[in-house]
Amino acid sequence: MRVIFLLSLFLALTAGCSEAPTEESVLRQDYASLEQAARGTEVRWHMWGGSAQINQWVDTYVAGEMKRLYDINVVRVPMDAPVFVNKLLTEKAANKNTGTMDLLWINGENFKNSMQAGVLFGPFTDRLPNFTAWYDPQKSAHDFGYPVNGFEAPYGRAQFVFEYDTERTPTPPATMAKFADWIRANTGRFTYPQPPDFTGSAFLRQVFYATTGGHEQYLNGFNPELYAKNAPQTFTWLNDLKPYLWQEGRTYPKDAAALDTLFARGEIDMGMSYHPAHAQMKILEKTYPDTVRTFVLAEGAIFNTHFTAIPFNAPNKAGAMVLANFLMSPEAQLSKFKPENWGDLPALEIAKLDEEKRQAFDAVDLGAATLGADALSAAAVPEIASEYLELLERDWDTIILGH
Amino acid sequence: MKRGIIHGLLPLLLPYCALFCTGLALTLAQSLGLFLPLGSGEAGIEHYQTLVQDQGIRQSLGLSLSVAFFSAAGSVLGGTVLALALWRMPPGLRRVGVVSKVGLILPHVAVAFLVLLLLSRTGLVSSVLFQTGIISSPEEFPNLLHTGSGLGMILAFLLKGVPFALLLIGAVLFGFDIRLIQTARMLGAGSVRTFWSVTLPRLLPAMHSAFIILFLYAFGSFDIPFVLGESHPGMLSIRVFDIFFQRDLSQRPQAMAILTLMFVFAAVFAMLYNRFAAYLDGWRRKL
Repeated sequence: MRVIFLLSLFLALTAGCSEAPTEESVLRQDYASLEQAARGTEVRWHMWGGSAQINQWVDTYVAGEMKRLYDINVVRVPMDAPVFVNKLLTEKAANKNTGTMDLLWINGENFKNSMQAGVLFGPFTDRLPNFTAWYDPQKSAHDFGYPVNGFEAPYGRAQFVFEYDTERTPTPPATMAKFADWIRANTGRFTYPQPPDFTGSAFLRQVFYATTGGHEQYLNGFNPELYAKNAPQTFTWLNDLKPYLWQEGRTYPKDAAALDTLFARGEIDMGMSYHPAHAQMKILEKTYPDTVRTFVLAEGAIFNTHFTAIPFNAPNKAGAMVLANFLMSPEAQLSKFKPENWGDLPALEIAKLDEEKRQAFDAVDLGAATLGADALSAAAVPEIASEYLELLERDWDTIILGH
Repeated sequence: MKRGIIHGLLPLLLPYCALFCTGLALTLAQSLGLFLPLGSGEAGIEHYQTLVQDQGIRQSLGLSLSVAFFSAAGSVLGGTVLALALWRMPPGLRRVGVVSKVGLILPHVAVAFLVLLLLSRTGLVSSVLFQTGIISSPEEFPNLLHTGSGLGMILAFLLKGVPFALLLIGAVLFGFDIRLIQTARMLGAGSVRTFWSVTLPRLLPAMHSAFIILFLYAFGSFDIPFVLGESHPGMLSIRVFDIFFQRDLSQRPQAMAILTLMFVFAAVFAMLYNRFAAYLDGWRRKL
């Protein structure tokens, strides 16, 4: 009896959380009426909060412009992507149809996980005027090989670069093979963040591309046989170098920030980042010496697009769409591109802009430590299906760490 | 009568059932493959089987146990010695001895960073030694934080644990009836004998409580291992975090299975330890 009473009370409590499903009419409205509907509202943008500079840009430029143009209050909520995806999964399981998050900064595995669990709202990108005007839908059709289908709005691009100090290393290695020689010659002076850290995992894919004959073969979706055939070469390469790594490869920095600290303190001689202007930002912050520069290998440098998406239970979908549209505008992309603001590569097609705006983009000086746009785009190689990524991370754990 | 007790306890029982038991039940269900965001929805114990066969998990378990044991035992030992030292001090000095409790107010994560900043190879201690010429390069500084044995974590746990044990044991000691010792002395017992037969038996319950609390805390804790842990073998809590947040959703039951096993271990350990302590106590009395 008591058990039934408790159980029914519990059920009543959880049932109280769910409300009637919100209508999907925002997808049928035209953009002007969306903007009208969003006026005077609040948009809660959940995003990774690990960079003071990016936070600053969102809190000042984005929040200021959104208030000025659309009378929308942007509230930045710092939260790691796996955490908010997990929150969404829980809310979905509890039938909570009015959530607390309006817009998410998301990509890769987190997007795939969210799509598979059906916790995102859309397709919405075709409703956004800036997307149709300035973007190449083909270039943002896939996120780590997973079809985007209009559930994510492109927002920026990033590319993988290595960082070195010209004082300590006059000429950096040019190819992956030379890199291995360099690591052997400089025992204990190289390491990489432990996958599945984002940067460490990207380094793992750089090695995977370089040791197995390039990325092209992996582009047609996931192929388990191909992986099984090729992956051993990658792990042999990494295993052979293990004794020459920092701490003899017994332990690895937990994340990119830990790697940065080791590099800044001079415990290692080579850094890496999935953000080409990262070294310049660190120099401006006075964390890195002025002599730090970046380089890419002849085998190529991985790039990817990062996106914004809207949860299925976002309380203010109209506001979220207006913010996503604003972030894609040439003005916001330009402001984001400037190294003093953030230095994030634009996701829009600069060629589609008019002459004046194009020149504004060309005039942005990313600093001496950042490679030029031509060097970066010449080296750019795409990301591959996240199934490869997950297998690489799992096997790295088993083979390299011995877990 | 019994009904009345239950009604009286309801305000306590309800949150307990709703939060703790539901969480536990959900963890157990997900470890069996039920109630997952993705998955077949069929129950099975295959995730437990994978865990049992996994060499790496065994190593992580070993590390978690040894870190928990050494930090708890070290803390209780250190706390007892300090408590005795404080107890023997004159009252004026005793008040100054309060500084030894500073570690209590620092959060665990702050202590972890303290250890990291002080004892890493390019940390403060190493820098001071290098600047004063005692060591000729930072590489000469012992690699305390990367020994593979969890020494850095144990040091951080000791910084937190010693004051905690001091607090628990000191409370008993300062409430101690001094006449017991005077009597023992008058009856001709030496100081060692007095300690073993009179003082220590009265401290033991507090020492056991301190040990069990510190052991289980260190066994399941996350913050200190997150800052000071190494890649291999990771502490169990870090393994759970990695699997839960950073891996594919299909691996989630495995994280839940580790959590369930950790909970079962903690419950069984606390039970067995209490029995063992009671047994020791009874055995001692017989003597």
